Amino acid sequence: MNEMLGLYPQWYVPGIGTAWVMGIIGTIHVLASHTSVGAAWLFALLAQKSVNENKPEIMLYLKKYGMFLLVFSYIVGSITGPGIWYSVTVASPRGISGLIHNFVWLWASEWVFFFVEVLGVYAMVYLIGKIDNKTYLKLAWSFAVASWATMILIVPILSFMMWPGNDRWYSTGSTFDAAFNLNYFAHLGIRTAFMFAVAGAVGGIIAATLKDRDTRIEVTRFLAKMGLAGMALMFVMFMWYTATLPPNARLIMETQMMPKYGSTLAALLIATVVYFVFSAWKPLRLPQGFAVAMTLAIGLFGLWPEERSRESMRKPYVAGQYIYSNQFFARDVPGKGVVSDMPLIKAKGVLATDYFVPADLRKITPENELRAGDLLTHMMCANCHSLEPNGALRPLPALFGHSNEPKMIQAYLDGALYHGLIPYMPKMPLPADERAAIALYIAQLSSSKPPVVAANTSISTEKGAN
Amino acid sequence: MDAATTQAMLHTLQDPTGIPSHPLIFQVLMVLTWVPHILFVNISLGAALMGLYAFTRRHDPHWQLLSEATTKVAKVGVSLLVVLGVAPLLFTQTIYDPQWYTSNLLSAAWVIGFIFTLTIGYLAWFSFYLKNHGDHAPGWIFWLGAFGLAMFLLDGFIMHILAYQGLHPEQWVAWYTPGGQVDMSGARIHTYELPRFGFFMAMSVTVFGAFLIAYGDYFKVRADRTPAYLAFARGLGSKIALIGAGLQIILFLWWLADLPVDIHAWTHPMTWLLLIYLAVLTAAFWFTRTHPDGQGYKLLTLSVGMAGLVAIFREVLRMAYMAPFNYNVLDYKVHWDVPSFALFLFTIVGVGGLMGGFIITLVYKAGRVQGPYQADSTVARLGMGSLAATITWVAAFMGVGIWIWLRNNG
Repeated sequence: MNEMLGLYPQWYVPGIGTAWVMGIIGTIHVLASHTSVGAAWLFALLAQKSVNENKPEIMLYLKKYGMFLLVFSYIVGSITGPGIWYSVTVASPRGISGLIHNFVWLWASEWVFFFVEVLGVYAMVYLIGKIDNKTYLKLAWSFAVASWATMILIVPILSFMMWPGNDRWYSTGSTFDAAFNLNYFAHLGIRTAFMFAVAGAVGGIIAATLKDRDTRIEVTRFLAKMGLAGMALMFVMFMWYTATLPPNARLIMETQMMPKYGSTLAALLIATVVYFVFSAWKPLRLPQGFAVAMTLAIGLFGLWPEERSRESMRKPYVAGQYIYSNQFFARDVPGKGVVSDMPLIKAKGVLATDYFVPADLRKITPENELRAGDLLTHMMCANCHSLEPNGALRPLPALFGHSNEPKMIQAYLDGALYHGLIPYMPKMPLPADERAAIALYIAQLSSSKPPVVAANTSISTEKGAN
Repeated sequence: MDAATTQAMLHTLQDPTGIPSHPLIFQVLMVLTWVPHILFVNISLGAALMGLYAFTRRHDPHWQLLSEATTKVAKVGVSLLVVLGVAPLLFTQTIYDPQWYTSNLLSAAWVIGFIFTLTIGYLAWFSFYLKNHGDHAPGWIFWLGAFGLAMFLLDGFIMHILAYQGLHPEQWVAWYTPGGQVDMSGARIHTYELPRFGFFMAMSVTVFGAFLIAYGDYFKVRADRTPAYLAFARGLGSKIALIGAGLQIILFLWWLADLPVDIHAWTHPMTWLLLIYLAVLTAAFWFTRTHPDGQGYKLLTLSVGMAGLVAIFREVLRMAYMAPFNYNVLDYKVHWDVPSFALFLFTIVGVGGLMGGFIITLVYKAGRVQGPYQADSTVARLGMGSLAATITWVAAFMGVGIWIWLRNNG
C-alpha cells in the first residue's frame, strides 16, 4: 500500500463538465481526421484512375478537392488532435498519463507518420501537374498508406481504453499485449469503414461544383460507391465490435446508449445510405448544400453520440480497466508495478492522502464538513457528473431525486458504492466521515439554500447536527 | 511548500507505470525533437509578421511578392510546427509528467483556450492567405492576418506559461488553494517570465532573417524570380537577422539576471557556450551583411546550431530548477519494452527516412524547376523505397498484431 495518492489538481467546468469539453473537441477532430485519411485514399484511387484511363480532368478535381479538403481537414485534424490530447490532459491527467507511459513508442511512431504526412499533404496538392505521373502515384499511395497507418497506431490506444480483453497484459505489462487487445481489429475496422463513408460524403461538396458534366458524373458515382462500401463494412464491423466489448460496456450500451441514441443513429444510417444511392442514381442532381448538410449530419447525429457513447461505455474506467474515471487506480497491475489506490483510501481516506488538499481540510470537523464534502464530491464524482441541478452531464442532484436528506444519500455511498456493486460506477471505499461529508454536500445541492460553503460555514454546522 | 515535501510530492505524482526505455533516451529525444519545433515556431512567427508588414507596402512589386511568399510560408509553417511539437511534448509528458500535468491543470482554461485560439487564428491566417494575391488585394484582409498573428503570439505565451509554471513545484499547492480555498477554475495565470518569453520571440527574428537569406539563394535558379527581387529578400533578411541576434544577446543577459541565484546559471558552461555562440552568430550576420549572396544556407545552418544549443540550455535549466527537489529523470522507474522501442526505430528510420526523404527531395528538386519536373533516378528510387517502406510497415505491424491477438484471445 502506498503512503500518499498521486492525484493532480482538478479542473471543473460548471454545467457541462470536462467530459463534454473532451467530447466537443473529439467530435471535431474525428470528423476532420477521418475525412483527411479517407481523402488520402480517395486521392490515390482517383489519381490512379486518371493515369490508367488517361483522364487529366480528374486531376483537376483533385487539385480543387485537395486545397479545400485535404489541406483544410488535415490542418484542422492536426490542430484538434493535440487538442484532444490537451483536453484529456486537463480532464483526466492520470488516465492520459497511464496511456502515454504504456504506449509512448506507439505514439512516437505515429508522430513519424504525422510528420511525413504533413510534408506530403502540401506536396500532394502543389505538385499535381508539376511532376510526372509515375512519381505522383508513388507519392499518392505512400501518402494514403501512411495516413491509414496513423489510424492503425491510434486505435490500439483507443481500444485499450475500453479494456485489454484478457489478463495477460496485467502480468506482462507488454505494450503489444495492450495494443493488440480483444477490441482492436474490430475497432480498426469500424474506423476504416467510417473514413471511406465520410470522405465519400465530404467529397460530394466539391464534386457538386464541377463544371465538366462527364467528370462530375464519374466522380460523384465513384464517391457514392466508396461511401456505400464504407457503410456496408461499417455495419459488419459494428457487429464484431459489440462482440468484443466488456460486459459492463455491453450493459451500458443496451440499457442506456441504445435507448438514448439508437433511433437517431438508425435514422442517420438510413439517411446516409439513401444519400449515396441517390447521388449514384442522379449524380447531376446532387446539390452542394445537400452534401454539406449530410456532412454536418454525420458530425452532429453520428459522431457526437458515438463519442459520448464510447466515453460512457468505458465506465467506470478510463483506461485498461485499471484506472477509474475519477482518476483512482482500481486494481494492481503487477506487470507495471502499479498498486491499487483502494486499500489506501479505505484505510486513510482521500483528504489526508492528497497533496493538493488544503491543510485545514485534511481532518473533517463539524465546522469544515460541508467544505470537505464539496471538495470530496468534486474529486470523486465530477469527472462524470455535473454538480448543478440542471447540469448537462448526468447531474448528481437529479440522480438522487433532488433529495436533501443526507442519510438517504449516504445509504447509497455506504452500500453499493463502498463495495463497488454498480457495474458502471467506481468503487469508493471511503472512511465513514468522508462518506458523510459527501452526502451532506450532495443534499445541500438540492436544498433551498445555495451551498455557499466558503462564505458561511455555519451551514455545515447546522446540517452536520441534523 | 518545503523542499522535502515537494520532493515527496513530485515522486508520488510520477506515473507508477514507469517508462519503457532508459530515461536518457527520452531526454535526448525530447531535446532533439524540440529543435525543429522551435525553428518552425520562429520561422512562422517571423514570416507572419513580415507577411503583414509587406502587405502594407504591396504597391511595390517586391514587397507584394514577399508578402505573398511569407504569408504562404507562415501557413505551411504553422501546420508543421504543430505536428513537430507533438514529439517533444510526448517525451516531456513521459519524463516530466508531474510538472506538465500540474501546470496544465492549474491553468486548464488557458490550455483549452490554446486549442480554440490556435484553430481560429489559423483559420484567419488561412483566409488572409487565400485573399492575399496581387496588388489589388483588399486592405481589410490585413486585420484577418493581424488577428491570426495575435492568436499565434497568445498561444506562444500560453505555452511559455505552461512550461514555466512547471518549474515551480514548491508553489503549486499555494496556487491551487489561494487563501485555503480550492480553485478548480483553471482560469488563472500564476507566473511568467518576460525575458525568457522575449528571448524566444527575438529568436524568431534571427531565424526568420536567416531563412529569408536562404530563400533568396534557393530561388536563384528560377527564372520567374528576378535577381533584383532575390537580392532585395537577402538584404532584408540580413538586416533582420542581425537585429534579431543582437536582441537575443540582450534578452539572454536579462534572462540570466532574472534567474534565481541558487541556480548558478552564470557558472554553468552551457550558459557561456550559448553566449559565445550568439556572439559568433551575430558576427557572422555582421560580416556577411554587405554580400549575403550565397551565404543563406550557411547562416541558416548556424541558426539551427543556435537552436540546438538553446534546446540543451533549456533542459540544463530545467534540471537546475528541479535539483533542490532531487528530481532527476535518470531515476525514473524503467520497465523495458524492447518490441515497441524497435517499432519506433523501424518507423523513424524506414518510414521517416525513406518517405520523408522522398518528399523533401522531391519538393526541393521540383521547386527549383520552372514548369513540369521529371523525376531523376534518385527521386525515382526514393519513391519506390517510400512506397515499399510504408507497405512493409503496415504488413509487419498487422502480421505481428494478428499473431499476438490470436495468442492472447484465441
